[in-house]
This record gives sequence, C-alpha cells and structure tokens, in this order.
Amino acid sequence: MNDMKNSLSLIERLCGAFGPSGCEGEVASLIKNEIFDVCPDAKFDRMGNLIAVMRFGDVTASERKRIMISAHMDEVGFMITEIKSGGYLGFDTVGGISASVLAGRRVKVLTQNGLINGVIASKAIHHKDKKERQKAVDIDKLYIDIGACDKEEAEALVRIGDFATFDSEFYTFGEDLVKGKALDDRMGCAAMIEAMRRLKDSPPKKNIDACFCFTVREEIGLSGAKAAAYELSPDVALVLETTAIADIADAAASRRVADMGGGVAISFMDRSTVYSRELVDAAIDIAKRKGVKAQVKRYVSGGNDAGTIHKTAEGIKTLAASVPTRYLHSAACVANINDYFAQRDLCVSIIEEII
Amino acid sequence: MLKILISEIMMKDLKRFIFSLCAVPSVSGFESRSTEALRSLIGDELEFVSVDGVGNHLFCKRSGKQNAPKILIDTHFDEIGLLVTEVLDGGFLRVCQMGGIDPSIMQASDVVIYGKQTLRGVVVSTPPHLKKDSDLPKIEEMLIDTGLSTDKARELIEIGTPVGFAPVYTELLNGRICGKSFDDKACAACAAFAIVNTPKEALAGDVYLLLSSVEETNRLGGAAAGAFSVMPDYAMVIDVNLARVPDTKDFETVEMDKGISISVSASTHLELTRLTEKLCVDREIEHSMIAAPTSTGTNAASVNLTACGIPTVDVGLPLASMHTYTEVVSMRDCETLVKLVGEFISSEEIAEKMNFSEVSFI
Repeated sequence: MNDMKNSLSLIERLCGAFGPSGCEGEVASLIKNEIFDVCPDAKFDRMGNLIAVMRFGDVTASERKRIMISAHMDEVGFMITEIKSGGYLGFDTVGGISASVLAGRRVKVLTQNGLINGVIASKAIHHKDKKERQKAVDIDKLYIDIGACDKEEAEALVRIGDFATFDSEFYTFGEDLVKGKALDDRMGCAAMIEAMRRLKDSPPKKNIDACFCFTVREEIGLSGAKAAAYELSPDVALVLETTAIADIADAAASRRVADMGGGVAISFMDRSTVYSRELVDAAIDIAKRKGVKAQVKRYVSGGNDAGTIHKTAEGIKTLAASVPTRYLHSAACVANINDYFAQRDLCVSIIEEII
Repeated sequence: MLKILISEIMMKDLKRFIFSLCAVPSVSGFESRSTEALRSLIGDELEFVSVDGVGNHLFCKRSGKQNAPKILIDTHFDEIGLLVTEVLDGGFLRVCQMGGIDPSIMQASDVVIYGKQTLRGVVVSTPPHLKKDSDLPKIEEMLIDTGLSTDKARELIEIGTPVGFAPVYTELLNGRICGKSFDDKACAACAAFAIVNTPKEALAGDVYLLLSSVEETNRLGGAAAGAFSVMPDYAMVIDVNLARVPDTKDFETVEMDKGISISVSASTHLELTRLTEKLCVDREIEHSMIAAPTSTGTNAASVNLTACGIPTVDVGLPLASMHTYTEVVSMRDCETLVKLVGEFISSEEIAEKMNFSEVSFI
C-alpha cells in the first residue's frame, strides 16, 4: 500500500511540473532531485537531456554492455504567439493537441515573473450559430484569458514566445485509474526513477552500464533522445512511454490498440519504428518468467523516441514498453496504475536480463 | 457550533463565499439534494423558510417593521450539467444535457458523478485514429469514463443520476475568478452576502431571497412558483450577462469590470427599472443600461407575470465563457452587485413608489 502511495505521489509531482517541449527545466530539476540519492552525478547534455549512468558489476572489466533507458520529460503544451487587443493571448500548440480538447481548459502561462493562471476560451455558445456549435473551435478563434484589462497590461507581463501548459487536477478514480495532464511521459520518468532506486538496493551482478536518459522534445518529433543515443552508443535501447488506446465503449475491438489494465504494452511496430523482433520476443519472455503483466500492442499507431533512437549512428536495437493511456495529449490523460507498475517492473527485469 | 462558524466566516469573505456556494452541486432538477449544504452555508444568517416541490429554496430576513412590504431577490440556484441515460459495458456512461452546454468544452473534461457515491470521472475524448472529421459529437453521443468495471458502475450509478463539472476555482489577474456555475450562484452569493450584511434596521421591507430551481432547463424556471409563494410587492431578478469578448457584438454584451447591468425590457417593470437606475446614480454604483426588447433571457418575465403581476427589475453580472466549467467573473463587479442589492433592499423611495396596496378592483 505504501508502495502504491509513494508511486502515486511521485507521478503526481512529476505531472504537476511545468515542461512543454523546449522548456523542460522544471521537470528536469525535479527529477535531478529525486535521483540525487541514487545517482548524484547525473548530468545534463548539450540538448538538456538529463542522463544518469549506473554502473554494475566489475567496472574495470573490458567486456561491458550498455543499455539506454529513456523517457521524455516534455509534455504537449502551448506557446503565446500574439497579444491581442483586450489583453487576450493568441497561442499555438507545441506538440499535437486536437482542437477538440482545447476550449474551456485551464492553463498556466510561464511569464518572466513566474506562472500565471489563464483559461482557453472563445465566445459563449449563446453567440455561436448552428454551424459553429457543431465544430470544435479552431485554434485561431480561441484565446487565453489571463484576466488582463487591456493589451498594455498583458504586454507588460507576457512575452511572445512564452510557454504554457494545461493546468489540470491530478486524481485517482474508478478502479485503480489515475487522471492528469502529462502522464505522457511523466509515468515513464517515474518508472525510471523507481527502477533506479530498486537497482541501487539490489544491484545486478552483470557488467552493465544502465544509462537512464530523461529526454527533451519528444512531442515535437525533433527528439533530444537522438543526441543522447549518439553520445551513449548503447547496445540496446529501451523506451518507456505511454501509448494512446481506444478501449472505450463504441470503439470496434479491432481498433482498441491495447487494454487498460492489461499490463505494459510492448510494440512490434508503430508509425516510426519496426522494433527488433529479437528484443520484442525477449521482453515477452522475461515478462512471462517474472510474472509481469504484459500485452502486445495490437494496432500500428503512434510513435515515440524509438523512431530516432533506432536509426542513430550505426543503428541501435530498440524496444518500447508503454503504459496504455486514454485521452492522450489532453488535460485528462487516464491510465491504470497497475499498468504503470508492470512497466516499472519490466524495466528492472529487462535491465537485469536482456543483455 | 461549527455550522455557525462556517457561515460567520463566509459572510466576511465574499470570494470565499462565492467559491463555496458555487461548488455546492445543484444540477438543474436536483437542487433539493443540496438543502443541507445550503443551510449550513447561509441558514444561520438568514431565516430558512422552505424548500418547495420544484426545488426552490427560500430564505428570509425580516425588518421587524409592521406592515412591511415584501421584497423578493431572485437568483437561480441550478447549474448546467448532465444526466445519465445509459450505463454501458466497460463502465462508460451515456448522458444527456441539463441546460445548454457548449459541446466544444466537453471532451477530456473532469466531471463528478453524483451516484450512490460521489465519483470522479472524465469525458471521453475520441482518439485521433477513430475520428472521421472535425465535427464534434453531440453531447448525447459522448461518453463518460467512470474507470469502473461494468458491474460496479451499474451498482453505483443508476439511470437518471446527475453529473456535474468539477468544482475547481482559480484566480486570474485583476480580481477575476474562474470556475463552474458562477451562472447563477455567484449572483446568489452576492445577494445573500448583501442581505446578511445589511442591518435589519436599514431594511425597507422584509427581504426574501429566492434561490430558484430549473432556470437552465425550463423556460419559465422554478422562480414562477417561488415568487407565487412569496407574493412580494416588488422583485429584483439577478442573473449573469454575456461579457464582451473577442468576436462578439458590443450591443449584445456588457463590459467586464464596469459594474452591473440593468435591462430595459418590455418584459419587466419600466418604473422599477428606472428607479433602480436612479438608485445607482444617486449611490454611485457602477452600472450600464442594456436593451433587451422583449426578453431578458432570465427569470424576470416569469416573476413579473406571477399572480396579479409583480413589478420586477432585471439585473446582470457580466460573465465570460457562459455555460462552461471555466466561467469568468470580476470580483469588482461582484462587489458592485453586493452594493446594489444592499441599497435596493434599503431604499425607502423604491418601497414607497412600489406600494400598490391600494390598487383593488372588486
């Protein structure tokens, strides 16, 4: 029970941090703090990736293997593009967010004086005609209301290029579900942190370097993970992610992707990667032997840092293990905490066994 | 003891009182489930008169004077929300809307399900690979994720269970506040706050505060029945008014932070309207006059047409993003409204001019 509480609190803290792609600093310093006991010499690379290397076995041995484990720190968010008359802020998305989950949302804007509250709004439904009522409001018709009285007041506080994120309550609900912003991919970050702690407590006897990379800019495709993979040149890479699923009433079984509560999802292919079959089989085998609940992702969709990692330098054998997540890239991502535990546990076992 | 403490504190802090009252669940048609919560918020400061058959809550503050006129202040207590129409496999709910919700704010929003237990939920957002076009689903086609197994969901949630938005409140710049159901409970809070904080000696009559029901779902609202049971000499109906935001027309909207609005309308009482305007001028209460030719879109007409007619004035609090869970009002406007209500219920001039007790035809 304590284990559950600690994990939930870690995930909540990570999800609460402000970190749209390109502006991951707050998340990074939070993580650096969390892993300080386990890995005090974790360092930032040129891109802003936070890399923590844990060396096991005989560190002087000539034959050492290296595994890279990565999860991205960034989340989908917004950038202020315009200060409109009336003091309203025009904005664009950073990363892929559907217009249908924008209107009405609370946001936080990071100004030079710190975070301020705002809300994404459009004119009231009373002022919309029939056609307007049937469509999601286009982003250029939406604005962020920060409560400014006029343009001058807003300009004094907010700069073009300031970042914003969803502001969303983190809570547990239903049977073992969590809801919050940025579960994608702070759950992966949490799984890495907890895996590191466990490896510190019972270190593997093999001569391996486990390189934990908390990466930047996954959501815009210009992945920081590529630089980390080049720098580390690992034998194997494991990407801890979330994957969008559609296991909802009204969706055909063939399009549900994976089941919530069905365990960690292992991808054989997505829109950015054909995964190493050898690693996929090994991961499934390890999960089976260790009693970790796992499932194979049943639909070719999505993509993640594996897409850049596996093509880095001479190529790196890569695996992705994801927490099935509903309503990805919204203020209300939903996942099952047991699937998170499966991801974390599989991560530890893979580090111990896959090379 | 604790109850007294709560309302005592509340009546000194308007913002906190607004947040507390607006957070009380009151999905249209389910107002009377919150009688206890309402009474604990204001029942120690105002006399609780009744909750009637259509869900109207009535509070009173008596002036102690003989033959005092009856003054009615109406604000509606109900809020927009949803109602469960079907519990589906996988613990998903089908719902219909209670009041005119903007469908564009629904997907991936937080809701509270008032079933056998109070449960949290999330409105399903259609995953990208299942989307056909940019059309929004109708609210009746949307689903609510309860996170429960089918059996558990069916055990805890019956057809007809109300669902509301999550009560989360944040502050923006310039004393603007953001959250659910300021429509119309911010007005209710301001009215209650004003009545409580006006000494009874100052009252021009016995003041009835009607927190009326089903305004959002019924054309006439519960206010008609509420006004009938009070049979006041005159009334003020307070509801929110659409604030000026980008892409709206000036004449259809009121500016935020510029005080309250008073409607001039064929559906309300012109003399009382002008007296209220004069009161604002005399007492330096920030206000604007708006034209609502045949309808104010509020309870005003139904109160006005109750029994043999009740002189009624319609007052508005500017509100942005109406019918969302992130409505925005200005605390400055709320304070203006408190001042107006306080002056209105103390005005001997209005009480005198609205005295129709000599009017009799048989």
